[in-house]
Amino acid sequence: MKKMTQPGSPMRRAVAALLAAMLWGATILPASAGTSHTIKVDGLACPFCAYGIEKQLRAIPGVNRVKVSIKSGTVIVSLRDGAELTRARAARAVKDAGFSMRSFK
Amino acid sequence: MKGNIAVAAAVAVAVAGWVFAISWPATAAPITTNTALPVAKGEYVFREQAIFNQSGDDPSGLERDRRVSISATVLGYGLTRNLALFGVLPLVHKRLEFPGLGVTRQAGGLGDARLFGRYTVFQQNLPGQTFRIAPLVGIELPTGENTERDGLGRLPMAVQPGSGSWDPFVGVVTTYQTRDFEIDVTASYQANTEAADFEFGDVARLDGSLQYRLWPRELSDDTTAYVYGVAELNLIHQEKNRFLGASNPNSGGTTLYGLVGLQYVDQRQIYEVGVQLPLVQDLDGTALERNYIVRGSIRLNF
Repeated sequence: MKKMTQPGSPMRRAVAALLAAMLWGATILPASAGTSHTIKVDGLACPFCAYGIEKQLRAIPGVNRVKVSIKSGTVIVSLRDGAELTRARAARAVKDAGFSMRSFK
Repeated sequence: MKGNIAVAAAVAVAVAGWVFAISWPATAAPITTNTALPVAKGEYVFREQAIFNQSGDDPSGLERDRRVSISATVLGYGLTRNLALFGVLPLVHKRLEFPGLGVTRQAGGLGDARLFGRYTVFQQNLPGQTFRIAPLVGIELPTGENTERDGLGRLPMAVQPGSGSWDPFVGVVTTYQTRDFEIDVTASYQANTEAADFEFGDVARLDGSLQYRLWPRELSDDTTAYVYGVAELNLIHQEKNRFLGASNPNSGGTTLYGLVGLQYVDQRQIYEVGVQLPLVQDLDGTALERNYIVRGSIRLNF
């Protein structure tokens, strides 16, 4: 028993090594990323209108980031880990913004 | 006393002949008129517009000089994906000078507010372009004072901040937008009603706007802002004003305005400025002619 509690004992070294590995993994390795979807939007042609789409999509639970490209008419929606976005929900958000969804991937 | 009455009478007769046709502030992409572009459900659009109107070509020989300054606050809200509601609240200051008579008449304060709804009845969306049609209907409310007085007595109606009357209006907006340009056309009609024995002439308008993307010349996936060059035409016809049931022959007429301007547009805000000049003025009698109108505004969405 005395040997187990001494500094440098095999048990203490094993626990310390495990803790170090966990801390290193937390700081170096990225957290698990959620999925992302690419939505093609019809009718989008100017920056001021893009905000309406962004606002509708950001209101959906689990949406982490929304990036709009006016040039290609695409919206990339990044989700938090474990969150889901269905085609129907995405279509409703785009429609409520005043536009039309062409595709959802 | 008799001299003051004579001056007041001359001013009243001369002033009543104006074409009272300040275009009401627009709420979206064009500077002087409306667009059918969407206000998303639950989205707000705020606009603050400053307008300065100078009129000084006086066919009556009285050398009248008129200046009107307006600061208009506009709030729009997307009630549904197709229905947007708008409210306009202006602060106005009107000044009329008769240099030859040494007379200045002026008044300021809250002007007549406007409430209207715009509903998209047709839209066709394609990649990078949209075509829409949206009728609108609304009413101008008598929130501005129409009985202001000065040392010469009651101010003429063209100098009063408000009209005192409830004035309904209808219109239809058509918009075609691509990534390179936007065209908006609005046809509208306002029926002005009587208040305190005075009735402004009804106003019919046909407004057109072209916004052309000047910058960037080439779009990228990271493009988040545009600069537009703006050109607009406003054809405005006003019927003669009426007082105690009789029409004023020195009021009413038709004016065609042209505007050039610039807009900076990004995802959250628009900054714009424009200068409007009368290209053609066919005014009745001695109605005072316009010189120019300067407009600037900021728009925000949230």
